[in-house]
Amino acid sequence: MSIELLLALITGAALFGVGIYGALSQTNLVMIMMGVELMLAAAMVNLVAFWRYLHPDNPAGQMFVLIIMTVMAIEMAVGFGIAIARFRAIGSVEMEEAAELKE
Amino acid sequence: MTTVLLLLLLAFGAYLVAVLEEWATSGRFRLAAPVLAGIALLGRESILPRKPDRIFFEVGPVLLLISAVLAAAVVPLTPDLIMTDLATGALFINAALVYVLVALLMAGWGPDGAYAMVGGWRFLGQLIAYSMLIVMPITAVAMRAESLFTTQIVVSQVQVWNILYQPLGFVLFFIASMALAFLPPFDLPTAKGELAGGVEAEYAGTRLAVFRLGRLALIITLAAATVIFYLGGWQGPWLPPWAWSAIKILAVTATMLLAGRMMPRIREAHLLAWCWKLGIPLALLNIFLVGVLVLVFP
Amino acid sequence: MTAQMFFIGFFGIAAIWFGIVVFRTFSMVRSALALLFSQTALGALFLSLQVEFLGVLQIMMMATEMSIMAIFMVMFMMDPGGLGEMDMTHQKRLSLGAGIVSFIAAVAVAVFVDWGPGVSVAPDAAQQTVDLGRELLGRSMLIFETAGITILTAMIAATAVAIQPGVNSISSHRQRPVPTNETLDSDMRRNDDTHKKMGGQANHEH
Repeated sequence: MSIELLLALITGAALFGVGIYGALSQTNLVMIMMGVELMLAAAMVNLVAFWRYLHPDNPAGQMFVLIIMTVMAIEMAVGFGIAIARFRAIGSVEMEEAAELKE
Repeated sequence: MTTVLLLLLLAFGAYLVAVLEEWATSGRFRLAAPVLAGIALLGRESILPRKPDRIFFEVGPVLLLISAVLAAAVVPLTPDLIMTDLATGALFINAALVYVLVALLMAGWGPDGAYAMVGGWRFLGQLIAYSMLIVMPITAVAMRAESLFTTQIVVSQVQVWNILYQPLGFVLFFIASMALAFLPPFDLPTAKGELAGGVEAEYAGTRLAVFRLGRLALIITLAAATVIFYLGGWQGPWLPPWAWSAIKILAVTATMLLAGRMMPRIREAHLLAWCWKLGIPLALLNIFLVGVLVLVFP
Repeated sequence: MTAQMFFIGFFGIAAIWFGIVVFRTFSMVRSALALLFSQTALGALFLSLQVEFLGVLQIMMMATEMSIMAIFMVMFMMDPGGLGEMDMTHQKRLSLGAGIVSFIAAVAVAVFVDWGPGVSVAPDAAQQTVDLGRELLGRSMLIFETAGITILTAMIAATAVAIQPGVNSISSHRQRPVPTNETLDSDMRRNDDTHKKMGGQANHEH
């Protein structure tokens, strides 16, 4: 079991933890999306490490990483569209939880 | 060793771009002007804004220079004069040049000034416009070369240069390069006369010298990229390869600096409309045409 | 301690550190650009794992995406410069606990599972690109096409949601009636509302 694989997996685990912390603790939609981006990036790191050290002859692993990059872009686009619509409607993108903090 | 030589050539090229730009704007050809201007800039007092975002303020110009140098690292001047021959060289040029945007955002947001901030965010809108027009012609070029190695791309143009094989791609890439290097008429981030210098406005002294040097390096890197993608790189009849590279790069630089001088600055909304409604369909048509040509004439 | 091990560790730690800075800093633009540099560090990590195409792709795409995130931060957040130092978090202990639990679980899985003998030689970069291209356009063509259609749908959907309903946003030249005194007053009040709502769209043809 190679040490480089372990290093990469631990990096992925730490990024995933930071992403979950961010996605759960932030009140703003844009910051929550940042947490989600970090989680997806952590999944990508794990995938690349597994592809490189366990199955380097099968390009399907890289294909999966490309799909995740695509998903990141799509989710950001649609999320920001929703954020614009919400901002236009009520004037903020805070999630409901933080509404009382403003009063 | 080649790295040091290429960095020196890049610096020399940036110097020549400064001379050419002076000639393009004012008509006078003064070879010593950049040295004197550089010494004057380095000697000036460094004025700090009242409450800058220190990290962004310092890193912005340096990142601009670094991204230009990184993009120049995969450009071959002769068959064996290249800093790193990456297997994904053509894509790496684009990846490095995207950090010009990050540098200008930092330089815009950092100084805590209105004009700089407007200039910085305007460049983001410009990137949305030109970004596809850089990548899609590169895709078509790589289709013909069947490789992303920059040396391979030059070698694939032995019979016919890409400017004749894919003229539509050349036009789109040339215009998008001018937009990337924020040359007139696309100089929205540093709009002289409108934004009082925009992104450059709050920099003085050494930082301004680094910013300007980064911009000159960016211009010559883009000219070099145009030459290797479309003008056949180092290929030519009588002169040695490095001479052809030098002549072609300087010719493309002069064209870039002169092309937009007489045109008014293009409005951001119009730039986005033209690039997305006309430019991207043309780029897709270019890819289609190149695909047909590659399959019909192997 | 080979060079590759050192680079993987270095870029991994850089990515994690920038990721933590995203949520610790008060300035919103710093937050977005820290996320950008975290993704760049991951791209460099991919390059040091000799996965060249994906590394370069990650570096390129994430710079653009995170810069767009930065401008959305400036548009929507109350204090994009961070000088007010507001604390915008809630359920802190729950989220910190969830983060730590998931980190420990993932590390436990990584350390205690026997992944088998690692392969230390990867195909070289040009061959990887060729294989990836053949895979994309051969066996995974359906996935590729579906991803393309999904991207197109997402673009159209996001544009449709983001366009201001009711205002004639398609044409930028709108005939305005000649203003008299009372229409000028109500016009100015109406301009204020639309100015706040649209953030300066095509109506402002001076």
